[in-house]
Amino acid sequence: MPEFESAFESFVGVNPWTALFTFCNMMVTFLVLRHFLFQPVKKMIDDRQAEIDAMYAQADAARQQAAELEQQYQARLEDVKQESDALLRQAADRARAREAEIVAEAKQQARTLRESAEAQIAQEKKKAVNELKGEIGGIAMEIASQVVEREVREQDHQALIDEFIAHVGDAS
Amino acid sequence: MNGPKIYFTIPLFGGIPVTQTAVSSFVVMVLLCTAGVLLGRNLQKRPSRRQVLVEKGVGMLYDMVRDTMGAHNLYWAPYIGALFLSSLGGTLIGMTGILRSATADLSTTATWAVMTSVLCWGCGIRANGFAGWLKGFADPVPVMLPMNIISEISQPISMAFRHFGNIAGGGVLTSLLYTALATLSGMVLGAVGSNAVVSALLLALGLALLVWGVRVKKPGRKIAGVLFAVTGGLALLGLTGVPYLQVGVPGILSLYFDVFSGGVQALVFSLLTMVYIGNCCPPPEETEPASGAE
Repeated sequence: MPEFESAFESFVGVNPWTALFTFCNMMVTFLVLRHFLFQPVKKMIDDRQAEIDAMYAQADAARQQAAELEQQYQARLEDVKQESDALLRQAADRARAREAEIVAEAKQQARTLRESAEAQIAQEKKKAVNELKGEIGGIAMEIASQVVEREVREQDHQALIDEFIAHVGDAS
Repeated sequence: MNGPKIYFTIPLFGGIPVTQTAVSSFVVMVLLCTAGVLLGRNLQKRPSRRQVLVEKGVGMLYDMVRDTMGAHNLYWAPYIGALFLSSLGGTLIGMTGILRSATADLSTTATWAVMTSVLCWGCGIRANGFAGWLKGFADPVPVMLPMNIISEISQPISMAFRHFGNIAGGGVLTSLLYTALATLSGMVLGAVGSNAVVSALLLALGLALLVWGVRVKKPGRKIAGVLFAVTGGLALLGLTGVPYLQVGVPGILSLYFDVFSGGVQALVFSLLTMVYIGNCCPPPEETEPASGAE
């Protein structure tokens, strides 16, 4: 057996020992790379991705919440506005009603006052007329007695006087 | 062209030969493991530049496995990555010039191919049970049985020889080129060296060309100048045995055979492994009873 030939493998051939070494090396490479490189790096990538996803989800939720709150506030503002409008309108209505009431009351009062005044005036007038009638009767009697210069029987001439006064009253 | 050199034989079990391939494979393993441990260390949520690159690579690997094998086979990614890196490293280690490419040995590629097949079978057995897996060979019609068996056997053989042939063929071509260039160097130097005047003229011409090339910055003239000058100089000195033409040209060829072809073959081998194993590990809904038993 020449030394040269034993120092080289055949060009195309499988050496079982080399195959075994290759297998072992491959397994070691696989296990080491998996444990020290691929899995940690992949885990880091996935973790980061999960974190980013969570952050995005959080941001979305916050935005949604903000939108909801805004809507709520908007609705509440609208409510408040409506309420205040209603209050104002109510107050205005009430004021108008009160005004009408007051005016009506005043009118009523005025009417009452006027009526009573008128009644009083009428009464005063009547009284004055009556007084005047009496006075005029007296004067007339006096004048008549002076004119006739004799005692006139009061009863006889009462009707005559009354008629006269009635004429006077009509004339006044 | 010889196979891998046997450095020494361990006198155990009737002699364990330690070949170039075994050494290369071991060196690649050590390098990959070291690199892996160094690159996978000290990972941060806010990554450094190194970590960004590592994550990019690992992400690409996982994306590729997901695209090829499906999301349910994502746990295969570390094996595929290790296989790809071992294959690429096993090829590129040949560029050191000290070690021989581990993938230029059929022992290596055949081992990996058989591993792929065994994993495939394991997946098939796990998914369908042993009897179901055996029945799968007579799948569409029982007539297909021999065809299926042949395809199952030829699959690792074809994988192994494809990878081995591409890398070893590149090595063969490179060594042929080296031999051819050495012969050409000898011929040229022999022809020129027989006449000292011609040698001196060539040297002078080469130097002139080189100076001119440097002046006007033309790389072609510089290279031609160096070539002529070295030819003349070596011929004058009588060193006709120097294979000076081997400088340069094989490097370009090596760029193709080692870097490009090595990358492509590593990719092809990993892709085929992914496809084969992916075919044997169908999505969980198709293997409902098996996944239920797990």
